Amino acid sequence: MPSSGLEVVRIVNDPDSSLADLRRAVEHDPSLTTNILRLANSAYFGRAGEIGTLQDAVVRLGMRRILHLVIGSAVAPLAQPPIRGYDMPAGSLLRHSVATAVASEELAHRLNREPPDQCFTAGLLHDLGKILLGTYLEIDAAPIRALAYEQGVSFQDAEQRVLGLNHAEVGALLLEQWNLPAPIVGAVRWHHEPDAAPDEQSFATDLVHVANEIARMSGTADGADGFNYMPSAGAISRLGMTERIVEQVVSSVLSHLNELSDLFAQTAGVDRNGS
Amino acid sequence: MRCVQITVGISEMKVSDKADDVLVTYSLGSCVGLALHDPARGVGGLIHCMLPLSRIDPAKAKANPMMFTDTGVPQLIQTVLDMGAVRKRLVAKVAGAAAPLQDNGVFKIGERNYVVLRKILWKNDILIASEEVGGTAARTMYLEIGTGKTRIRSGGVEKEL
Repeated sequence: MPSSGLEVVRIVNDPDSSLADLRRAVEHDPSLTTNILRLANSAYFGRAGEIGTLQDAVVRLGMRRILHLVIGSAVAPLAQPPIRGYDMPAGSLLRHSVATAVASEELAHRLNREPPDQCFTAGLLHDLGKILLGTYLEIDAAPIRALAYEQGVSFQDAEQRVLGLNHAEVGALLLEQWNLPAPIVGAVRWHHEPDAAPDEQSFATDLVHVANEIARMSGTADGADGFNYMPSAGAISRLGMTERIVEQVVSSVLSHLNELSDLFAQTAGVDRNGS
Repeated sequence: MRCVQITVGISEMKVSDKADDVLVTYSLGSCVGLALHDPARGVGGLIHCMLPLSRIDPAKAKANPMMFTDTGVPQLIQTVLDMGAVRKRLVAKVAGAAAPLQDNGVFKIGERNYVVLRKILWKNDILIASEEVGGTAARTMYLEIGTGKTRIRSGGVEKEL
């Protein structure tokens, strides 16, 4: 993560910090400032074309939303390239990550609940471990796939058996290194095993868990793992999920997904037609 | 022959009567892909529908009927017929409708997409020539307009449907 991003994380974690501290940390980094303004002016963040300066963005979107944008623009360049170990073409993981972030907030709204601060960011970051395993370590997915598809083992359990760890765990370890707030780290760590999350992190983790499935159903199921995961009956029951809610969220994800994927891809230096 | 690959996005439909065109749709998970082709007329189309029934969101269905199987598939059929295809010659091939492991009921979009698709094809007197549906793997589907050949790519392996 760029140093300005780490500084923003430190400020957001510090209860004594102010919006002015946040603005100062961001304005030192011109590309981060540009990215924040671009995202702040998206329809999804609700301020289409209205925000002209960083000061406006910080005041009108608030500290937590700015953190989402900072983390999003830090992660987009990592999530945009192909993830060879997971057989994902360029842009595919970024699109899935954005879809999960959007679906987690949409889902909370459909359930008439306020989305917890951390669910958008945790949605964006939930598969960070795949970038490490699939790009930097370039794991061989063949034995994991064989275990998953031939023996009906969920993909993250197959990773655990073959590699000794799974992508959720790896992602959470990296986020801890970056000093991200514990609720974000927790939602990433337990996104495939929400029943294991501590009680205070349960709602956000359940949202990210179900949003991850909804994101796949919104046309972002590329990759070696496909749908080879086990939805948690506990999360489904705690949230009060129904088939109808799933379909409503799927139908609302696509329009935001196209807008935000393009914007995040631009922050990764990829234009609309490139990949 | 130089082939021209045309991408069919999620909730989109593309049709063609150019022999060089190859229609392709990626990321077929629980969505359904339907390829229709009239070999004698050399016309075909591919659709990628995300949700089974438009009544879940009528405003979105009006703005983009291709998002839903019940509104998108009739449009694909009508469009290829308008381009000169003959109903009884239409070859229909289907892929997608995947689902998570041990689905407990709320994630049945794939199965429902497939059921609605079959019903619409049956009502339109169109038989499914071949299909690859269900399971947990994501798929990519190709339709070659010149030959009508339909290919499926999944898990790095490609095969003809």
